[in-house]
Amino acid sequence: MANGICVYAESYKGKLEPAAVELVSAAKEIKKTTGEKIQAIVLAEETDDIVSRLDKLGVEEIYVVRAGRDCSQQDDAVSKAVAEMLKKIDPSSVLIPATPEGRSIFSRVAMKLGCGLTADCTEVLVGTKEDGSYYIRQNKPSFGENVFVTIITRDGFYPQMMTIRPGVYTAQEEAEGGQAKVEYFEDIEVGSSKIEIIEEAEAENETGSILGAEVVVVGGRGVLEDDNFALLEKFAEKVGGAIGGTRPMVDSEMIPFNHQIGQTGLTIRPKICISFGVSGAIQHTEGIKDTKLFVAVNTDEDAAIFGVADYGITADLKDVLENYLAL
Amino acid sequence: MNIAVLIKQVPVSNDVSVDPDTHALVRASSEGMVNPADLNAIEEAMLLKEQTGGKVVVFTMGPPDAEKALRDAMALGCDESCLVTDRAVAGGDTVATAKVLAAAIRKYGEFDLILGGALSADGATGQVGAMVAECLDIPHVVEAQGIRYDEARAGGIVAVKKFHDKKLSIRCALPAMISFNFGCNEPRLATLRSKRAAKTKPLAIYTNADLGLPLEEVGIAGSPTTVVDSFSPKAGRKAAMLEGTAAELAKKLKDLIEEEKGK
Amino acid sequence: MAKKKIGIIGGGISGTALGYHLSLYDGEAEVIVFEKDTIGGASTAKSAGTVCLFDDSLKNRYWDVRLYGFESYLKMEAEEKGSAGFDKTGTLVVATNEEVEKVIKTGIALAKAAGYTGEYITDKDRIKEILPDISTDNILGAGYTADDGYFDGTMISNTYAKKFQKNGGVVKTGVKVTEVVVEDKKVKGLKTDDGAEYEFDVVVDCTGPWSKFTGEMVGLDVPIWHTKAEAFFLCPPGKKLDYTFPVLKYPEFYGLRAGDNIFICKSHLSMDLSNPMHAGQWDPDKLPATGGTDDYFIDFLLDQLEAKVPGIVDSGLVSSWLSYRAEPKDFWPILGETPVEGYLLSTGYGGNGVIEAPAATRDLAKLIMRGESTPLLENWAFKRLL
Repeated sequence: MANGICVYAESYKGKLEPAAVELVSAAKEIKKTTGEKIQAIVLAEETDDIVSRLDKLGVEEIYVVRAGRDCSQQDDAVSKAVAEMLKKIDPSSVLIPATPEGRSIFSRVAMKLGCGLTADCTEVLVGTKEDGSYYIRQNKPSFGENVFVTIITRDGFYPQMMTIRPGVYTAQEEAEGGQAKVEYFEDIEVGSSKIEIIEEAEAENETGSILGAEVVVVGGRGVLEDDNFALLEKFAEKVGGAIGGTRPMVDSEMIPFNHQIGQTGLTIRPKICISFGVSGAIQHTEGIKDTKLFVAVNTDEDAAIFGVADYGITADLKDVLENYLAL
Repeated sequence: MNIAVLIKQVPVSNDVSVDPDTHALVRASSEGMVNPADLNAIEEAMLLKEQTGGKVVVFTMGPPDAEKALRDAMALGCDESCLVTDRAVAGGDTVATAKVLAAAIRKYGEFDLILGGALSADGATGQVGAMVAECLDIPHVVEAQGIRYDEARAGGIVAVKKFHDKKLSIRCALPAMISFNFGCNEPRLATLRSKRAAKTKPLAIYTNADLGLPLEEVGIAGSPTTVVDSFSPKAGRKAAMLEGTAAELAKKLKDLIEEEKGK
Repeated sequence: MAKKKIGIIGGGISGTALGYHLSLYDGEAEVIVFEKDTIGGASTAKSAGTVCLFDDSLKNRYWDVRLYGFESYLKMEAEEKGSAGFDKTGTLVVATNEEVEKVIKTGIALAKAAGYTGEYITDKDRIKEILPDISTDNILGAGYTADDGYFDGTMISNTYAKKFQKNGGVVKTGVKVTEVVVEDKKVKGLKTDDGAEYEFDVVVDCTGPWSKFTGEMVGLDVPIWHTKAEAFFLCPPGKKLDYTFPVLKYPEFYGLRAGDNIFICKSHLSMDLSNPMHAGQWDPDKLPATGGTDDYFIDFLLDQLEAKVPGIVDSGLVSSWLSYRAEPKDFWPILGETPVEGYLLSTGYGGNGVIEAPAATRDLAKLIMRGESTPLLENWAFKRLL
């Protein structure tokens, strides 16, 4: 009978990833109801530091495969080994960081095990079936963040696997004196891969392109006054963002047309968007979609932009910018 | 080189709400479009085709009106298209959907490369690409920023991706699947002429019977996961107003940005 | 004297312009504009904003209406740059037959009479200087002025709303009117979706394509149809034109620049109310912000551009949108009183809301405040359609 809440201990260059530490907290929440053991699987070249940290986090069973090489990006080989590990451990649920690595490896694992994979959960809750057994209610956003859905793994499909969005659970605190049982699967090998990293270089910060930028700073008419645009540029540099603008900024040639946002310009999908002096006319707000964080600064407390932003600041953008730059 | 591109028709607007009584999704509009990141994949396919020749075939699974997304893709230069449409395959989760797409690719022909967008704008699971790769037993590079192909080293392709502040060049044996991030390139635009030309380009329609997949493996029946509830987020999109002096507000702004960056 | 209480439903160009004109009757009116979404954010935002001196989209018969609109916005722009979103690109109106030629020449004469420049050009090289990408085959000539261009309806609406608020008017956004209270066939007030109730002497419907639904609240069948305004943004070959693309008018379509792109739309007078591809009764709440255009339009536009502006036919399609214009069967607005006492209309502007709103609402404000009609109100009265 499948048993255990298993956390995928994602690591990078021998270090446990913060997202995995958060999943231990999620597992402890589930354990409160189901009483199952908290497990972790480790697959890496250097495993000692990872195992020792998992022990301090209060993980009860740690299962390890020493990869024998850096197998980062080798999803084909890694997923095969992980699937074999899960077959041996037989947990009831698997919690995976919703990172590019987590979702790509476990997408393959799901196909190998014939089970499901729920993506990007923001909350996992325990439900009880009629026969008294437990299952996980996997809540996740859909359509941007406009709707949340509850997903369950259907009977007959085990383990229940889900990726959990980093940042939604607080990191589990470490304590000395962990009692974890550590088991090394010597018989599981990370086989050959058709994927190979041939070059590793420092990534450059490409803030010039607005389309792929993670952070976008948007200026509206308010930016046209005084030397506000210079402040905006400094701010953008400080937060590592690309500058976009509405038509008045393009008309005044502060920014090129290919940085104009809205229906006559671009639709951007940055992770973070901060707007200054943008009123929020449709041509502009329709050009920004799917942001995770949208903060709007405007002097007019009734500005339409506050109807679409996550956070609003009613203030003179000059004051906010000057104070930010002084931080 | 023959390239398959997987695309998804997504709603133009994510403006969707939940009916508080029926829990059914209420869409502001039924208008569909090609998923934005898939346009980046199409652009990579077109650039590669210009370099190596061959053909680009675009695949999707969806209702009959997903033909529109395929025609849009062909207006961008894709040569042929394939729509899998069947009530039996509808409503599937990522696992069931990947099986269908993989079967469609296999039936259609031999491909050296399969490309797709890394995330869809609606569901945003980012799983289907990797699952298709697994079904086809080929390597997969996810969230790539670009690809390089060197004829002298045929049999492989190099994908470039960002990972932990590093820029990795990853060599991958062919056939392979590569998924691209939204915004990694500037997709070309259709023209009125290419739109008209796309109307007569080949479009194959497959049903599940054509693919020969067992009914218990596709659609809702073949999905290990199922949606049991849907609800509106606790707070609306209406902004939470921050209060304080300009200095305090600046600090709050900084905290918000850093918290989000850390996620 | 008790103040006149007026509720305006709809915060587009006609609602905000009416609010502004009413607020000029110093302290005599207490006015609230109710907008369910954002100011100037629906049909107004999708207007091309071409308020041109000798453009025929509003016939020369209503020259004064056109001129009043144009000059209102010029003054707005002069007060604060950008507040009307004016882009002074000039306008080229192409004569494809003698009848059109005559209309253009009349427009030029009228523009000159008001002190603007304008000329009718038959020298095809000169026409090509103004618009190098045009084909001068099969045309007689073109009217040209450098004095006008296009405006931004959303910015104008927001500027009107600001002026209105400065004069004491109240704007409520994000609030939907759910009921108009009528007793004994007389308007008493209205209710909104936030649970509030208001008493009004007069309620004015400025909801454009929503008027059918708004009118139902008082049991009024507002006789409008929806025609489709399908617009495309084109990215010219080479991404940027090396000349100023003027507002370009043909009887079948019009174009104007939008940054480095070109905006193209089928003209509203070329719409046929009996053609189901052009006209019908739809739900404007279901309109997507972008997209939604019909395939037939691609063919229409390709044929038009190949013949008329071949230099831009290979432009990239950046985006498109669909908007519903509210059109009465004779293509003129519906302005003023209705069979329901106290319920007034300012709707049905079709493709001409930005052009007509200033003059129409100026006159309507006078009717509301003084009970005095004007020739314009008589021509555009509801009763003509009964």
